[in-house]
Amino acid sequence: MRLKPSSLGVHAVLGGYTLLAVLPILLVIMNSFKNRNAIFGSPLSPPTAETFSLIGYAKVLGNAHIGTYFMNSLIVTLGSMGLVLLFGAMAAWALTEYKFRFSTALALFMSIGIMVPIRLGSVAILTMMRKAGLNDTLTALILVYVAQGLPLAIFILSEFIEQIPRDLRDASRCDGVPETRIFFEVIAPLLRPAIATVAVFTMVPIWNDLWFPLILTSSESTHTITLGVQQFLGQYITDWNSVLAALSLAILPVVVIYVVFSRQLISGLTSGAVK
Amino acid sequence: MAKVRIEKLNKAYGDAAILRDIDLSVNDGEFVVLVGPSGCGKSTLLRMIAGLDGVTSGDIFIGERRVTNLEPAQRKIAMVFQSYALYPHMSVRKNMTFGLKFSGMAQAEMERRVAEAARMLRLEPLLERRPRDLSGGQRQRVAIGRAIVREPDVFLFDEPLSNLDAALRVSTRVEIAKLHRTLGSTMIYVTHDQVEAMTLADRIVVMNQGRIAQEGKPLDLYYAPANLFVAGFIGSPAMNFFQAQVESVAPGMILLSGPDFATFKAPVGDARIAAGAKITVGVRPEHLIAPAGSGFSLNGSVELVERLGETSYAHVRAGADHPLIAEIRGRSAPAAGDSIVLGAADRDVHLFDAEGMRISAGAA
Amino acid sequence: MAQTAHIVAAMPRSRFALLMLLFLGPAISIYALFSIYPLIATMALSTFTGDATGAYSFVGLANFKTLMTDAVWSKPFWNASLNNFIFFCVHMLVQNPVGIALAGLLSLPNLKLRATYRTLIFLPTMLSVVIVGFTWNLILSPLWGVAEGLLKSVGLGSWFAPWLGLPSTALVTLSLMSVWQFVGIPMMLIYAALLNIPEELVDAARVDGLGHFRIFTHIKLPLIAPTIGIVSILTFVANFNAFDLIYSVKGALAGPNFASDILGTFFYRTFFGNQLQVGDPTMGATVASVMFFVILAGVCVYLFAVQRRMHRYAF
Repeated sequence: MRLKPSSLGVHAVLGGYTLLAVLPILLVIMNSFKNRNAIFGSPLSPPTAETFSLIGYAKVLGNAHIGTYFMNSLIVTLGSMGLVLLFGAMAAWALTEYKFRFSTALALFMSIGIMVPIRLGSVAILTMMRKAGLNDTLTALILVYVAQGLPLAIFILSEFIEQIPRDLRDASRCDGVPETRIFFEVIAPLLRPAIATVAVFTMVPIWNDLWFPLILTSSESTHTITLGVQQFLGQYITDWNSVLAALSLAILPVVVIYVVFSRQLISGLTSGAVK
Repeated sequence: MAKVRIEKLNKAYGDAAILRDIDLSVNDGEFVVLVGPSGCGKSTLLRMIAGLDGVTSGDIFIGERRVTNLEPAQRKIAMVFQSYALYPHMSVRKNMTFGLKFSGMAQAEMERRVAEAARMLRLEPLLERRPRDLSGGQRQRVAIGRAIVREPDVFLFDEPLSNLDAALRVSTRVEIAKLHRTLGSTMIYVTHDQVEAMTLADRIVVMNQGRIAQEGKPLDLYYAPANLFVAGFIGSPAMNFFQAQVESVAPGMILLSGPDFATFKAPVGDARIAAGAKITVGVRPEHLIAPAGSGFSLNGSVELVERLGETSYAHVRAGADHPLIAEIRGRSAPAAGDSIVLGAADRDVHLFDAEGMRISAGAA
Repeated sequence: MAQTAHIVAAMPRSRFALLMLLFLGPAISIYALFSIYPLIATMALSTFTGDATGAYSFVGLANFKTLMTDAVWSKPFWNASLNNFIFFCVHMLVQNPVGIALAGLLSLPNLKLRATYRTLIFLPTMLSVVIVGFTWNLILSPLWGVAEGLLKSVGLGSWFAPWLGLPSTALVTLSLMSVWQFVGIPMMLIYAALLNIPEELVDAARVDGLGHFRIFTHIKLPLIAPTIGIVSILTFVANFNAFDLIYSVKGALAGPNFASDILGTFFYRTFFGNQLQVGDPTMGATVASVMFFVILAGVCVYLFAVQRRMHRYAF
């Protein structure tokens, strides 16, 4: 007898919550394409031929800095993720494969960062950056995000590395392959599935982060898109068209990428790295 | 205790048919083993009897009740799983009584049943332990104990010995056999191991690709397999098969020739066999003893001999380079490279027609 | 490990050291420099105080005393601490149970549209906090009237109030917004843990006569207890580190009337200053240190009291 949970009840609850999750986003996107009257008059209906308007988008996209903000976010996020993956994988490999006198202590040291938030050291970070002349640069952001992302990345990558069969490494050693080549040519390619998991945990918080861009960047040329949107929203708070358009522009790329990659992202999350 | 009847059972997932038109009857108190290669559908059949998987069409009866659409708990069955499926966060005692609690049973009755099962399976010292503190064999006994306390009409076993090591497998197998003698319950047992099937079963059901290939008493299947599949599945090492052709037909006898053996006469009374028909000849390795009379015989050369003590297996190449295995008993055995002459008695030579069905000796 | 000991032994000490430097060097140096050192420096700074000339003098734990007892500092500090605690409670009471319930429903066998539900429910977690804050701000705004309209349509119009603007409800509303955004994370983690439970265990429970709800409460829930523990401590750390949502909706002043001020916004305000006060690095460092100790205390409680009792069941 196939198990049939009271399907109606289950789907009602799940469907109801899904609606709750998705409706606010839909509302924003829908209304961003309407003219001002329609936004207030009939907020819940989709744009029609009469109410369609791109006036908000025009203003937002006309803002000269949007492109810069977007590029900055891209540089910072991709740069940080690249470094986190490279340094994290090397460190994870060294800590799991070579057990030497301090390896356990080092591993523990690195994992402190998972629990303790880096923001609390902002006072000193700002001072350091100023002294080093890195204040208000993307480099400062990248350095900070790499430091922030390494502990969790190392933790996740270590779990993956543990699952690579011993025999592969032993065979390479018997063949006399030098250690560095073993890592870069044998182990690294096998870590590809881990990249999705690390990417989720690393990239999204960096892209969406408000704190460090707020603290470490002061000029428009170094702002990230998140900070840019936040300031834009604060500035044009009564201009509903622009506000909705800005929000939609911020939402759409994330949603599109998420929906396209959702399968990998979710399987990465549930892959057992969280044990 | 109850009998089980399965009528025209079908199971399909979309277009993929897993079970086709299964008809099976299990008598009260019988030990029936479902055996077959992976993918033959035996586990699916067991799960459908249990109620864990639904039926596409057909009916299942336990006792006089039609249980086809009932939940597992309503069918009065108990199941022993391959990986024991013990609740890790409960003690052994709690594992056994957990299901009973929700049926509103009195505390005293539950305790009586647990004590009885624990005594039967020697679980008394383990009752307060957790599954993680038990060995594989102990866990399996607890799983069996959990089934016993339910006092079911039918016991279902899903490859319960597969996760045990070889020695443990033998001793647990004996335990299960003794359990059947003690309780006398109806038991349906699934395995891929034909040794378990042969030793435990009152009746064996051999399955292949979703259908029943043959069912019957173990020795009947051994001495009179109904088709090529059963002949090759039962018995280890497997039966040797030879291609043959009917040279001529005479009343009560046919003349068979083939590239790997000497032409011989076989006593067959089936009038449907005509000259020129293709036949498969099967002889078990343990029946290829020294030549006896004018029946089946062949020449070959020994390639390799595996000596296991009093029993040896000779890997022989016969006739047109056809590989076969012969079982040799005794202290002496041929050596690799030797020539050898093998033969079999008429009653040990199995004949199968072009469709793989048994051709019986005597009148059709 | 015998093998690596062999490798290590076979390799000359200096070469091994060089190898470790190559592999571990970059990660450890960046981490130590930008994560650990600043933390220690901040805590060190909290033991100093600055004067008008910008010179610092050592004052030991005086700053902490000031923070907690001084009339000017202690009121906002305890207000922020209490608010942070309420923030955390709302998450524990709403986010995690909802996440567990959703995960439980999603892991039911033969569920249609499972992937769709999962993908869509996780969507808000992907969004920037700025987006979430503003979107809800708009929806709940009495000016736009969407929330009001929706409530009216189910007859609950009288319930509506400008929740974000009222001191009594602002904090809880913001907490619920945060819950809305992040419920996907406990949901996913618990879902993964539920997937780990072997099907045979559920089969055995069905044969034992348990219905779905009982299977969840008696079998699945005890087995995912360790994961629930991890989710709880992660919630704790995240909540006491929170800042972005409150800041983007209410600004640094965390109004109305500091009703939504939590430790993160208090820290930001103290360190960087705003229109009401000058930035004070040493007091800011003090606040940060207090936050660190609170989080550390929580983690220690978890590691020693909770983690020990939990058993990770291997299947």
